[in-house]
Amino acid sequence: MSSSLSGKLPEFGRFPERIGAILPPVVLIVALILLWSWSAGTGLLPKWLLPSPQAVLGEFSHHSATLLKHARMTAFEALGGFALGALAGAGGAFLLTLVPFLRDMLYPYALASRAIPIIVFTPLIVVMLGRGLVPIILIVAFATYFPVFLALLRGLNTLNADRMELLHSLSATPLQILWKIRLPSSLPMLFAALKVSASGAFITALVTEWIGSNVGLGYLVMVSGQYFKLATMWAAIFSASLMTLALLGLIVLIERLMGRYTSLATEV
Amino acid sequence: MRGPALSLAFEGRRPWHWMGLDIVMLNAFPDEATRVRAATLPAGLYADGIDVVFRRGSHSVQALKDCSLDIPRGSWATLIGASGCGKSTLLRVFADIVKPTAGTALLHGVSPAEARANRIYALVQQGSTMLPWRSIIDNVALGLEISGLPKSTRYARAEEALALVGLKGFEKSLPSELSGGMRQRAAIARALTLRPRFLLMDEPFGALDEITRDRLHFELLRILEETGATLLLVTHSISEAVILSDKVIVMTPRPGRISEIIEVDFGRGRTPDLRGDPRFVQYEAQLRRALHQPA
Ligand SMILES: Nc1ncnc2c1ncn2[C@@H]1O[C@H](COP(=O)(O)OP(=O)(O)OP(=O)(O)O)[C@@H](O)[C@H]1O
Ligand SMILES: [Mg+2]
Repeated sequence: MSSSLSGKLPEFGRFPERIGAILPPVVLIVALILLWSWSAGTGLLPKWLLPSPQAVLGEFSHHSATLLKHARMTAFEALGGFALGALAGAGGAFLLTLVPFLRDMLYPYALASRAIPIIVFTPLIVVMLGRGLVPIILIVAFATYFPVFLALLRGLNTLNADRMELLHSLSATPLQILWKIRLPSSLPMLFAALKVSASGAFITALVTEWIGSNVGLGYLVMVSGQYFKLATMWAAIFSASLMTLALLGLIVLIERLMGRYTSLATEV
Repeated sequence: MRGPALSLAFEGRRPWHWMGLDIVMLNAFPDEATRVRAATLPAGLYADGIDVVFRRGSHSVQALKDCSLDIPRGSWATLIGASGCGKSTLLRVFADIVKPTAGTALLHGVSPAEARANRIYALVQQGSTMLPWRSIIDNVALGLEISGLPKSTRYARAEEALALVGLKGFEKSLPSELSGGMRQRAAIARALTLRPRFLLMDEPFGALDEITRDRLHFELLRILEETGATLLLVTHSISEAVILSDKVIVMTPRPGRISEIIEVDFGRGRTPDLRGDPRFVQYEAQLRRALHQPA
């Protein structure tokens, strides 16, 4: 059968090659920070737009307690919503795969649900459920379930004829077919979708906080912006980015650990 | 071939030297009605007037036309013919993958669907499909896993089968780390773990080197003799057909039909010395003539 040219992750080789892969982005970020620092020092960048890196860094050390409080809230919202959304998306995909009747009935609505700009409804939802963690988690979940749902539904229903015939000849039950071939072969698509959902979760949480909360990094960004506390604002923005990266990194790590599913699953 | 229902049980007396277990345990029909019916019908592979028409929208392809054959229980048959003449399709009719448009196919007197449900055949696909995320041993044990055998039995049998096809030491490898020929052998091993009454094989030795192929030919014949299993095997090789057959079924294309059935009278206990037999060359020549005959 055909070799798996596509679908294979770039492999990190031994020491020198690994340095080769890591060095360029590190050089870039160091250069950018130096440029930033230099332009802030010479006044090329006005302080009210972007304070110096030292000032932002100082914010992290002086106001770490405040930052931590807000960051923890945002993390709860984003991670909770992400987990809930991913579970709902996966559950929906399984259900619609196993019950063709439900698929015919619900699939158009699942697609249409994508068109609902859920963030716009935040004020309404806050009126209904009050401010706080729960409504934001629900909004994040709604905003992030879709990529997982669609990718898994596609993956579970993209059938490799040879594998299906093999399991058919072995007289496998539909459930065995689901666990033993449909799910494993849809994992690469699932991980791609999880990465999309992960960054979406943080963005949704931050924006929802503008309206629906008085804690969280999104709230902090808005409030410190209004009071021209630019260093605080940037510290909050960087914190949010770091958390998003951490979640993405975790997903990539799991994907790597499951390499035999996620990198080889295309074809042998 | 007709026989009483008990003949199934008597088959269990065959010594399973190569795996040391009883054929009856796995292969007796669990379903009583099927068992009773099976006893009064041809016990081997039987086909009568099989037509297969594939429809795609408005146009249709007649893949098989009026194919009939009767392969007695425990005997060996190969399907040979030009590419596209319907060999795989005929095999897949017996495997309950393709439903015939007309005609009857029976395995041990039961329909392909019942044969599949009762797990009395094992199929080796043309592409020797492996699940790429499973190690070789897990791929080989897949059939037993699906039939719900306990883990220790599964692995014990899978290891034996792997040793048999010369893949000892590759248990933990992934399919992508093996050559095409090694994957074919793993697919054969997977079929053997099932201890099938019928072995349906679609070009199982296609990607193998001459030496391994020779060894596996006689290994397969030995297993077939010990288990009394019936063989239907698709091949493109004339010598392979002669070595592995009691009957060579020659097919011609457009539409696919059986043009000739050649009996090969080498009996049992075949050895590699077969190739030196003057009759071997005669059979080869006869088969070549049949293949070159205009349809
Ligand atoms: N699922 C299908 N749908 C439509 N046409 C099919 C299908 N399967 C087989 N055919 C057609 O039926 C004919 C016989 O195919 P088959 O695969 O049985 O040939 P074969 O003898 O096994 O060939 P090969 O030696 O190349 O494997 C071909 O013309 C093929 O195009
Ligand atoms: Mg074929």
